[in-house]
Amino acid sequence: MPNNRPRPPTKAQKGKSSTATPKKSASSQRFAERQAAKQQAAREQRRARTRTYGIVTIALVVVIVAVLVVVKVAGGGGSGSTVDVPSPPAGTPIPASTLAKLMSVPVSTLNAAPTGGILTTPQSVNNPALTAKGKPELLYIGAEFCPHCAAERWPVYIALSKFGTFSPAPGRIHSANLDGDVPTLTFYGTTYSSPYFTFTPVEVYTNKPEGNGYASLQQPTQAQSTLWQDTNGGTIPFLDFGGKQVLPSAQYSYGPLQNLPFSSVAAQVGNNSTSIGVDIDASAAQLIKTICGSLSHDQPSDVCSAVHNG
Amino acid sequence: MDEEIPRWPGVVGTVASAFGLGVAGYLTYEHFTSSTSLACSDNGVVNCLKVTTSTYSAVAGVPVAVLGLVFFAVMLVLQLPTMWRRPDPAVRLGRLAWAVVGLCTVLYLLYAELFAIDAICLWCTSVHVLTLVLFGVTVYATSAYPAPLAEEADVDG
Repeated sequence: MPNNRPRPPTKAQKGKSSTATPKKSASSQRFAERQAAKQQAAREQRRARTRTYGIVTIALVVVIVAVLVVVKVAGGGGSGSTVDVPSPPAGTPIPASTLAKLMSVPVSTLNAAPTGGILTTPQSVNNPALTAKGKPELLYIGAEFCPHCAAERWPVYIALSKFGTFSPAPGRIHSANLDGDVPTLTFYGTTYSSPYFTFTPVEVYTNKPEGNGYASLQQPTQAQSTLWQDTNGGTIPFLDFGGKQVLPSAQYSYGPLQNLPFSSVAAQVGNNSTSIGVDIDASAAQLIKTICGSLSHDQPSDVCSAVHNG
Repeated sequence: MDEEIPRWPGVVGTVASAFGLGVAGYLTYEHFTSSTSLACSDNGVVNCLKVTTSTYSAVAGVPVAVLGLVFFAVMLVLQLPTMWRRPDPAVRLGRLAWAVVGLCTVLYLLYAELFAIDAICLWCTSVHVLTLVLFGVTVYATSAYPAPLAEEADVDG
């Protein structure tokens, strides 16, 4: 019977260490091992290369972030303590003669205006003292699009001009066309100086439509936002007189001011024979009285005595 | 011969995603409330309110905070250790692509904070850092530990 099974090698054959078939098998095994080693090496090489690409990518990202930060720091573009967004020009210049007229309305005239059109008066609050730069602070929060704020800025400007000066002078703007088109001044971009108190105006939005609202202009600080929100729910205009009194909304109706030219409204200030003049004058007198009592310790005496005696 | 993907990418990725999800959730909550309770310094340069209420706080009307929430929710799933163990190229490439999306968004927002808004929000910065960590982990682990199937295909080929 033929035996097809391979016979085990004899002792002699083992001693010679190889026959033709095992020799071929060992050789191919070595070849396979070399191939596997080559493939493994190639694979390791590819893996190392891929890993390097990954590391380079991560390093690149780190460099980009670092460059952004370094450029910012080196460029000195930081705003430091200011919180203003780079903004559009602060209104159209107002003729000096018009501003002079607004500033020079006698307190007695303001105080003599009937108060029938007054809708809101400053209210006493028991908030912590509001101060800035070592003085009592008058905080104003409004928005340029807002018609109520537009109306309120007239008496605010007139009242503030009795206690200090603006530099540069406020420009004129109007509330948004869709929101009454009320002519007014803007405090944005101005600095108010007074020996008695600090005035901090914050216009949170411009009058330029953007999306479903208006473009942002200034951002209240966290403390201002909290105060504003807690005191009147975040509505505008909002005035806080040193934490002692607040004006939660506009003092008079903006309705009669709609679509009027700035000069027309300005001409009526100090004229207690027109409804617009009366409303602005009476509102300004109230603000002066409030500032005297809450912020300026009844200084200057001629101004404060005039409203107290009225 | 395939090197098994270690556990650390899944662990680090999951933890970073979970933290990111939490912060993005907080910012989303603040976005849809008054924003006035946002716990953040307001010393000028660092001003969360200024950032989170700026015109850059929404993309095509969608609040960035919400986009962050979605990003981290998806990333959390992709970073789970079980997902890292899957050799499926779709998962690996999807995770990588998602990390790149996060990176691009972070670079855009960082630019906006530094050069347009001129203020930094610490909460946003923590989200940015977590996103960068996720990007780093994803890129490194994906490049350093190729998918087993891909390697086998390489070897066979």
